[in-house]
Amino acid sequence: MKQYIIRRLLQIIPTMIGISIIIFAISSLVPGDYITAVNNPTMTAEKAAQLRAIYGLDKPPVERYLTWVGNMLKGNLGDSLVHKQPVTTVMGNYVWNSFFIAFFSLILSWIIAIFAGVFSAKFQYSLFDKIVTLVIFLCMSLPSFFIGLLLIKFLALDLGWFPVGGMKTSGFNGNTWDQLVDIAWHMFMPVTVLTMLSTGGLTRYFRTSMLEVIRQDYIRTARAKGLKERTVIFKHALRNAMLPAITLMGFELPSLFGGAIILEKIFIWPGVGQVYLESISMRDYPFMLGFTVFISILTLLGNLLSDVLYGAADPRIRLK
Amino acid sequence: MKKRMSLLFVIMLMAVTVLAACSGGGTAEQPPSQGEQTEQPPAEGNGTETTEPPAEGGDESQGYFEATDPSLNPAAALNRKDTLIVGMTAPKGVFSPFYWQTAYDKFVVEAMFDSFFSIQGDGTYANRLAESVEVSEDKLKYTFKLKPGVTYSNGDPVTVKDYAFAMKVYHDSSYDGQTDMLSVNIKGGKEYNEGKATDISGIKVIDDNTIEIEVTEANAMTKDNLGTVSFVPESYYGKGYKQGNLEYMKELHAKPIGSGQYVLKSFSPGQEVVLEANPNYFLGAPKIKNVIYKTTTEETRLAMFQSGEIDMDMVTVNEDNVEALKEMGFLDINIFPTNGYGYVAMNHKDPKFQDPKVRQALIYGLNRAEVVEIIYGQYANVINIPQSSQSWAYTEEGIEPHEFDMEKAKQLLDEAGWAPGADGIREKDGKKFEIHFSATADNPVIDALIPVMTQNYQELGIKLTAETLDFNAIMDKKDKGEFEMFFAAWGLTPDPDSTVYITDGNQNDIGYSNPAYDAAMKKGLNAFDLEERKAAYAEAYRILNADVPDLPIYQRRDAWTINSRLNGIDITPYKTFAIDLYKAEIEQ
Repeated sequence: MKQYIIRRLLQIIPTMIGISIIIFAISSLVPGDYITAVNNPTMTAEKAAQLRAIYGLDKPPVERYLTWVGNMLKGNLGDSLVHKQPVTTVMGNYVWNSFFIAFFSLILSWIIAIFAGVFSAKFQYSLFDKIVTLVIFLCMSLPSFFIGLLLIKFLALDLGWFPVGGMKTSGFNGNTWDQLVDIAWHMFMPVTVLTMLSTGGLTRYFRTSMLEVIRQDYIRTARAKGLKERTVIFKHALRNAMLPAITLMGFELPSLFGGAIILEKIFIWPGVGQVYLESISMRDYPFMLGFTVFISILTLLGNLLSDVLYGAADPRIRLK
Repeated sequence: MKKRMSLLFVIMLMAVTVLAACSGGGTAEQPPSQGEQTEQPPAEGNGTETTEPPAEGGDESQGYFEATDPSLNPAAALNRKDTLIVGMTAPKGVFSPFYWQTAYDKFVVEAMFDSFFSIQGDGTYANRLAESVEVSEDKLKYTFKLKPGVTYSNGDPVTVKDYAFAMKVYHDSSYDGQTDMLSVNIKGGKEYNEGKATDISGIKVIDDNTIEIEVTEANAMTKDNLGTVSFVPESYYGKGYKQGNLEYMKELHAKPIGSGQYVLKSFSPGQEVVLEANPNYFLGAPKIKNVIYKTTTEETRLAMFQSGEIDMDMVTVNEDNVEALKEMGFLDINIFPTNGYGYVAMNHKDPKFQDPKVRQALIYGLNRAEVVEIIYGQYANVINIPQSSQSWAYTEEGIEPHEFDMEKAKQLLDEAGWAPGADGIREKDGKKFEIHFSATADNPVIDALIPVMTQNYQELGIKLTAETLDFNAIMDKKDKGEFEMFFAAWGLTPDPDSTVYITDGNQNDIGYSNPAYDAAMKKGLNAFDLEERKAAYAEAYRILNADVPDLPIYQRRDAWTINSRLNGIDITPYKTFAIDLYKAEIEQ
């Protein structure tokens, strides 16, 4: 097992080199750079040339790539052109905010999906199953901005229970506990929407794999032994039905940090998604490349994690 | 009534979101992000008084609309007795007078720093930190006298040495902000930039409150360019300064110290900037103790007003938004013409656009009024010269409005030798009249413009094909000159000097050239008397109007919506709310 993990980790290195070449190539093939994106109407050609020289944009792409990779190996991702701060600082400023809502909605959606999936599989074609299926399809198919705005209208404007947006009340000063409550209060609506969106797919997943397992012979055997239905479902069936889901768990890793662009806009959540999107349209390459590398590493690690977990959970799989 | 309105606005917001969610945000219509603090008319000139007229009768599309029923004010807003919350797009945290880039970071800088001059409502400049300014006969020497007794928020006295230090930063070879101080031609500036000198020879500190600056070449904007350099404490910003290395400055962006109206209390990226009044402000302590710049997005501004979470914000001006805001009743709305304009560029290197008759035909043959009506309703107007109607340089005298006239357009094309071919498309020398339009993706202007243009030009016998591209891709094509037509918008500076149409000018992407225009612009820049400048620019605009270098389309509106509990917020197209924030107060 240890050998397997080490080998996989070593495999990440050539993959990362490939990824870095591809994303760098794309970024340098795309027309325009930071200077054209700022589109300062009073900038003289000399000033533009000077800025390009300072940012190193006047050098050939290969040289720029090598400098960038060289700095990255030393742990320096460069300075964001838009924020005038080191890329890592900018990421630190925003990534955790995205992580909070993604993390809570992940936990919530897994809990809801497991229960909804198990019960709708257990009572297949019952009224409960039909209602669950209808609701999750509704949640899946409604776009996030629509649910978001609807929630703002009902819960924030009409009922006044929750704030329209933001992460904390402006001008609010309290002790740590009060501030945490304030953040939780602001987090409610974005987490709800994010949960609604992700629960749907997961529930379908659990329901299908549960249905498959429930029809297996050993379940019939378990029932025939006279085991309690609860033990049969949650101990014998669910554990096996969960196996494919473990793979999904690993894939969630990058999305925990990636940010939710549309949702962050609607609820004015200070997450990294919008910052990333802006870095693309502003051609803020240091940030864009740095963040893309960060997400790719998480994706690769997530893949590794899901393989390892799968091997640990399912004795039929042997990792070599 | 209220219910129906809210539902309506949710639906409307959805439409906005669909657009916003897909667009990269980099449209040409972004608020001006230039860091150039340039171009102002001479402060001594009698700039015309342009305070907004009340919106009684006449033009309903601009003016100051008072709240109809302040009693509807939400409790959340009324309970904030000593705090003003201004909603805006998130500032980036670059709170440095040297490096700010977005208009929102600039709002913070304006509240925290001061310079010799500050801008007035009409776009002219008046003394702020300066007690007096003397200009030598040949306009090459400028002596600024600083008001005595001003201090920074850390207690250090403000002296002209700080000004000299700021100038060094602007001239440093590693300075990567947007301000181009080298173009002001301060004597010795170039040498300092190139590292050949350790001081800028043209800047002489005479005593703590007097400084003399010598330039090698002066124009109408020199004095204001020199007078708008922010004072920063050298003891703080200059610690660790070595010529050619400004890396350490990045650490200070989020921890600014200035002599201005407010001091920074805290900054949470993407959330809020908390400012606190500077009790020792030299013009008197600000009347509102706390000011918070809170992040809002296009989708939520109306909702935030309604719930009382913000007191002021800039809402996109269109019929739906203005109606929704007016219906809330407790909001004042200040609508004014945007300092900029939208236009369709033509490539003058392309032979078919070189004939002025063809360009005239293209403007007569395009129903611009219809395009503008579709996009902005009454909140924009067709323009005929590339200048804001609020500018002192604006003129309508001798300007042909080019109203939609298909017959005239056809006649002009006939005269230019483009005769209708068998398929109805005009031809000349065996070449069909086809225009390739590079269109920005997800731009509401493009969505309205292209269908109208295609139809109009089809009738005219021109085939228009549109290709949709990302904004940056179009800007790149523009720089390389590989385009036929595109739509973009220019932001205008308070001063009418511009290089957009000057032969080989820096911003002249379209390749237009007319010596008569160049001469008129040069005259305008080098004249020091306002009336003389006005005449020169009027002449320049008449030449452009007759020549049609591009198709000017519209000047739209901007608006600040302000809770009626606030008094003394002074906003014009040139002057932001932050400039004189210390005068504002909250009605108790």
